[in-house]
Amino acid sequence: MVQITINDHTVEAEPGRRLVEVIKEQGITITNLCYIDGLEPYAGCRTCIVEIEGARPTPLQLSCVAQVTEGMVVRTHTEEAKRTRQSVMSIIMANHPDRCLSCHRRVHCMPGDICLRDDVVTHRCLTCSKNYRCELQTSCENLDQGEFEEPWVGEARSYYETPPPEPDRGNPFLEFDPQMCIICTRCVRACDDLRHTGAITLSGKGHTTMIAFGTGGQVHESDCDFCGACIDVCPTATLMEKPNKWVGKADDWTNSVCNSCSVGCTISYGLNDDFGPTIVRPDRVNPASRDQICVRGRFHYDAIPDKQRLSRALVRAGDRLLPASSEDALARAVEAVSAVKQAAGAGAVAVLGSPMATNEESFVLAALARAIGTPHVDFASGAVHRAVSQALEGAFGTDRLPASLADLERSDTIVTIARDLEESHQVVALRIRDAVVKRKAKLVRISPMWSEMDGFSHAVIRVQPGHEAAVTQALVDGAAAPDGVDAAQWQAALDALAAAQADAESLATVVYAPNNQDVALAGEGAKAAANLAIALRGQAAPDHLLYMPTEANVRGATDAGIAPGPGGKSFAEIVAAAQAGEVRAVVLHGDNPLLTAPGGPAIAAALANLEALVVVDEVRSTAAEHATVVLPMAPFFASSGTLTNADLHVFRHNAAPKGKAPSGLSVLQALAQGLGASVAFESPAAVTEALAAEVPGYPTNAMLGAAPGGTRVVGSPSRASAQAVAPAPASPRGEGSRGEGELTLITGRSLYHSWEGSSIRSEEADKLHREEQAWINPRDAEAARIRTGDVIDLVGEAGTVHIAARLDDGVPPGTVYVPLYFDAGAVLALYPLDGQAAGAPAVRLRALQPA
Amino acid sequence: MPLETESKARVRALISEFRPENGDLLATLHKVQHEFGYLSREAMEVIGEQLDLFPAHVYGAASFYEEFRFEPPAHTNIRWCSGPACRLRNSNGIRDAMLATLGLDEIHEQTEDGRVGVINGQCNGCCELAPMVWLEQHETHTVRPVGNLTAASAIRMARALRDGTEIEGALDAAFERTPSGSGVSNG
Repeated sequence: MVQITINDHTVEAEPGRRLVEVIKEQGITITNLCYIDGLEPYAGCRTCIVEIEGARPTPLQLSCVAQVTEGMVVRTHTEEAKRTRQSVMSIIMANHPDRCLSCHRRVHCMPGDICLRDDVVTHRCLTCSKNYRCELQTSCENLDQGEFEEPWVGEARSYYETPPPEPDRGNPFLEFDPQMCIICTRCVRACDDLRHTGAITLSGKGHTTMIAFGTGGQVHESDCDFCGACIDVCPTATLMEKPNKWVGKADDWTNSVCNSCSVGCTISYGLNDDFGPTIVRPDRVNPASRDQICVRGRFHYDAIPDKQRLSRALVRAGDRLLPASSEDALARAVEAVSAVKQAAGAGAVAVLGSPMATNEESFVLAALARAIGTPHVDFASGAVHRAVSQALEGAFGTDRLPASLADLERSDTIVTIARDLEESHQVVALRIRDAVVKRKAKLVRISPMWSEMDGFSHAVIRVQPGHEAAVTQALVDGAAAPDGVDAAQWQAALDALAAAQADAESLATVVYAPNNQDVALAGEGAKAAANLAIALRGQAAPDHLLYMPTEANVRGATDAGIAPGPGGKSFAEIVAAAQAGEVRAVVLHGDNPLLTAPGGPAIAAALANLEALVVVDEVRSTAAEHATVVLPMAPFFASSGTLTNADLHVFRHNAAPKGKAPSGLSVLQALAQGLGASVAFESPAAVTEALAAEVPGYPTNAMLGAAPGGTRVVGSPSRASAQAVAPAPASPRGEGSRGEGELTLITGRSLYHSWEGSSIRSEEADKLHREEQAWINPRDAEAARIRTGDVIDLVGEAGTVHIAARLDDGVPPGTVYVPLYFDAGAVLALYPLDGQAAGAPAVRLRALQPA
Repeated sequence: MPLETESKARVRALISEFRPENGDLLATLHKVQHEFGYLSREAMEVIGEQLDLFPAHVYGAASFYEEFRFEPPAHTNIRWCSGPACRLRNSNGIRDAMLATLGLDEIHEQTEDGRVGVINGQCNGCCELAPMVWLEQHETHTVRPVGNLTAASAIRMARALRDGTEIEGALDAAFERTPSGSGVSNG
């Protein structure tokens, strides 16, 4: 630390730091339109000029380029510095509508008023959607740009006479309006250096320079993933969120967390007094996500229109669900469940929770189950999680491993055993890319499918679906390349692992994201992943193995008690028992198992067979169609509580209130009270306290408040017990059992599908409509005479999926990929209910009429 | 996402000699445009793969240069010299006459059937031939300088090209002569 003087105040600062960051930290407002904190300076806008005493050749220096040195004397607001910044700003505005920005009357103007300076409507701040939240506008105000004598005052300017370039409104997320651009290139650098996506570039030259996406086409034709990092840094209205863009001015901000996947990126909802949450920005609390999120976190709160959310309770009357008052519906729900309990005992009632709900809701739901007296409590993917947990406990003595997501970007060797992290856990993929690009880390991918991550990989091990565990184990054993694996890639992977083993100082990380459709396979994969971590790092393995569940709060739901009690049935067993008439009532909270669990037809039949089905949900899901009573609850973004992410951070989620539906917590509590539970929590915070008291390791409110991003529920793995676990005998799944003309099915989470949208078959489920195709290898397609765009049937034992085909080298021959959320989980009909013994399901192709 | 197609494989084979971090980008772009007449989106993606660049960066570099095209060129392009000597000898009038004959509004457009386009050219110093144009055919890699044009001969030439005549025939029509040999055509 050295001492410098800024505006006559002595300040401690780190030597070598960029001066502009220190100035901003002191609370001094200074214009800087091209600098991005943490990145190398670009020095393009030149609006951050300050006076540095004794600097050569002139004291006027760019504070983004200048680095802190001992004894530096800086003045930010001298007459000359300010005038220089004003003149720089006036040059920037030569190519931006600037009349309002330098007009003293602006505060008096209303959108409908006639401009007294004769400014055309399309060039006025008042008719710009970024008005009042525009960095350029704020900068002009801070600089008193209105006082500056523009050199062109009174002259006709070509800017106002040339037609503006066309905006790109071709996609549902990002609006690109080049007429507002001041070519600061922040977006270009954010896309390259913060995201490693490289979808934005500068095109043209001289006066025609403009930012462009991809190869000059529309945004959605480029590599853009719509993460919105460019939106966050754009100082003008050039790059904007399309949803809510006219009401994006926030009156307040929350500290919340995204529940789209288990990374648990912390986000901030911008709350508009009249419209609720209208905008999302990254919230830096989560040390893994920091200033980055993905398209799901930024846009999925808005995935479906409000009118598709439940606002009233529904009660069954014959074939129909009719609106009812919430009191009546609640009474009816209690009565229906109690009747079954009385007639057939508590064992005839089952409770199904949600891995997307808050810990608090799960905790109250578990209390509800205890009040009923049933041990049959689970969620759709609970068995997958327990299989992984069991494997990890076998290896390390605990499943709460201390490995941290924040270590990914510091790793030197990374092995991922996952279908496609880019699609399923995008911010994890981003941190892996950080390591690969910035540290030249070696990435080994074990996956049945192509991913954008292939381009960043040192070795890609393409496996047949279902062989992930066996192949990983072969890698641990240093065996020869298994059948069908490229020998050169295999050798490269072995070399990378050997190098990591040889250098004990280097950081090696194994990332395991199990498939949600096969319990046994998930467990085997976890064993293999644990063995790999042990092979790489021995006793320290628990620090280097990351387990990424598919859904956001799998950990928290399980910890809060959504798991079978003694003698309790798992989800698949509950479904089977319901089909057999043994389980006759189900309370289903916040999830649609038809969308996430294998065996769709069996689940639908089980739900239809129930005497009483009480659904507590925010949307009228396809499962809710079978309900006796549907109780509406507020959407996730409008509920408060905590979430436990993949690396066991507990993050607080503060509600972004919207709509009139009561919170899930209050609905569950009322239901639990009706069923005889003695729960009476006044607030979500009270539940947090109760949870902390009951579940070992969980933080109290005080702990959460003291360290918002540092509260973890890590167990203490006994180092001595880090022992290799015996892998299951390598069972060739799919391949061997596959008959002539059959394809092995691959499915999984894709990037653009929203939970809610898919859950109700909404058109909005995939706003881009980019992922509604089955990927088929050209070799198989040729044999079946299929071209891209043809509609095909995928015929399995239990059902048929009707989908458009796409020829793609991304899937190996003999396989077909169908996105999980296509047509509300239609592909799950092709999986057996207990995905264990049957292996990866095989399907036959049936070509229909070309599309 | 990836799907290997025949056209991608052609680009890949064409540029297989170029390597990342060798400063090969412009040479690669030239080679691809020479072969295909323009830089397609697909070609830029393959170039990016070959040179370890994002497609956007390939486009960013290519779009800096006027000579790289992103749309297929016309069958015959009239490259109109925009140099000062030609302008002194009424090249603006010749340009406007040709555009009007072809039914085009501006330079860098082409006729609807894609037969004839007019593009901008730079002075190459043979100002004794002013005003001049070059007739270019990408398919045969032909470039034919045509000098000492008049508005009347330019219109005859443009009309002949528009009506489907190839370069030599168009020159014969322009200068009202019987079919002849090559060299600089001179009114």
